[in-house]
Amino acid sequence: MASVALELVGVSKRYAGRYALRDVDLSLSSGSALGLLGPNGAGKTSALRLLLGFTRASAGTIRLQGLPPSNPASRVGVAYLPERLTLPGRMTVRSFLRHHAALAGLTGAALESDVDRVLEQTDLAARAFDRIGSLSKGLTQRVGFAQAFLAEPTLMILDEPTSGLDPIGVRDARDWILAARKRGCSLLVSSHLLSEVERTCDQVAIIDEGSLVAKGRLEEIVQAGETLEDAFVRLVRK
Amino acid sequence: MKPTAPRIFSELAREAFRDATRRRIVPIIAVFALLSLLAVNTCTSCAGSSRIVQGGSEVSVADVSGWTGMLMMTLLSLWTMVLAGLLASDHLAETVFDGSANLILARPVRRSEFALARLAGALGIAYVTGALVLTVSAYLLHIRNGVSLGAAFSAELACAAGAFVVAALAMALSLHLTRIATAISVLFFVGAITFVNIFTLFGRSLGGVGHVLQYFTPPLCTAVVVALKPWIAPVTPAVDPTIMILKLVFWMVASALILLATFRNQELGN
Repeated sequence: MASVALELVGVSKRYAGRYALRDVDLSLSSGSALGLLGPNGAGKTSALRLLLGFTRASAGTIRLQGLPPSNPASRVGVAYLPERLTLPGRMTVRSFLRHHAALAGLTGAALESDVDRVLEQTDLAARAFDRIGSLSKGLTQRVGFAQAFLAEPTLMILDEPTSGLDPIGVRDARDWILAARKRGCSLLVSSHLLSEVERTCDQVAIIDEGSLVAKGRLEEIVQAGETLEDAFVRLVRK
Repeated sequence: MKPTAPRIFSELAREAFRDATRRRIVPIIAVFALLSLLAVNTCTSCAGSSRIVQGGSEVSVADVSGWTGMLMMTLLSLWTMVLAGLLASDHLAETVFDGSANLILARPVRRSEFALARLAGALGIAYVTGALVLTVSAYLLHIRNGVSLGAAFSAELACAAGAFVVAALAMALSLHLTRIATAISVLFFVGAITFVNIFTLFGRSLGGVGHVLQYFTPPLCTAVVVALKPWIAPVTPAVDPTIMILKLVFWMVASALILLATFRNQELGN
């Protein structure tokens, strides 16, 4: 495993003349958890897309597990949960998870037992043979989490992971994320829910209008007498 | 652990094929295939009457059945190619635009593996349908009119190659055009090439730009007709089979490369 889970050095991304990200430096050491915060349209999702190789940087260098994102080996052991989750509605939950388990490199009995494990973990065992299209938004989000937990990832990249979940779902999701962290999994999470980031991450990075305005351990960002929300508002309105 | 490339491809292709079979258009394709077979059955059922009248004089059925068969097989091959193009026109683009490709490509999967697997999935439906329609038609023509099955098999291979070219180009185009625009492009592309190919087959030059098109466009229709040459003997198409095969192989490779290059440069959104 690379000692640096992910790294962006001087990364900029322009879309039609507008900067989505401008000269961003960001890194996450293995086993750490970084919360990516920012207002809507700040560039958080763009950063995640660049890391996964969905788009190419206009400038700068990106490394995922020590490799450029264009190299598929950089995504071995990486789990991703997008903000807007589109799953194949005609597939059953189990067949969808089997498909992803195979793509994650699992085979035979190990594949089946891992699918069973994540179904149990996310309370989806009873819905395993339901079509994904028949599930509620919250249950669909659980399926998204289940695919992310397949093959025990070493790095999880989660974009607004609790959107669509009810309070119980939010608490479950937090427990799953903390359990993965306990196992040594690195975590990069983009979220609007500052309280969730506070509970699951030890570092935060705040992006505003494509630029990194603060990065560090929670106690470095939050001043005495402040909450993370206060610090966020202070830094973004500066 | 990183899964091996063949394993990833077979997993993706299998899922892409299953995904293609779940589409609402598949029952319509099945109905069209059935109607085509009924039409072929009707067109070939006159074998029992040994003589027909053509232009006021009697002609042996055997003299025209080869031409009729060739026309039928060519039309059905073109239908299969159009079908392949239409199926491919959203089989990759839909996953890109609705964001479902992102989850797959966040795994250790190459874009080329994903694109080719989606192409294989779309082609799977077109090939199964084309093989069924063409094989049954060839068999009916064989037992009723005595045409050779070997030529029909060659025509099916030519059709498969043409369908690959049309589908790969349609898939590449669909990343930049809407579904409707891509579908119209497929119809126009196959239609225009067929028009150019027909002139080439009979040794006629279109002149100017037409001549350039005759030389460079994929021999979609030409390849099928040349494969069925034994059915229309002693008439021989004015085409060098070796050059035609080379051109078809070139277009298969080129269309696949165009698809891969287009998808490699595609910004994945959602």
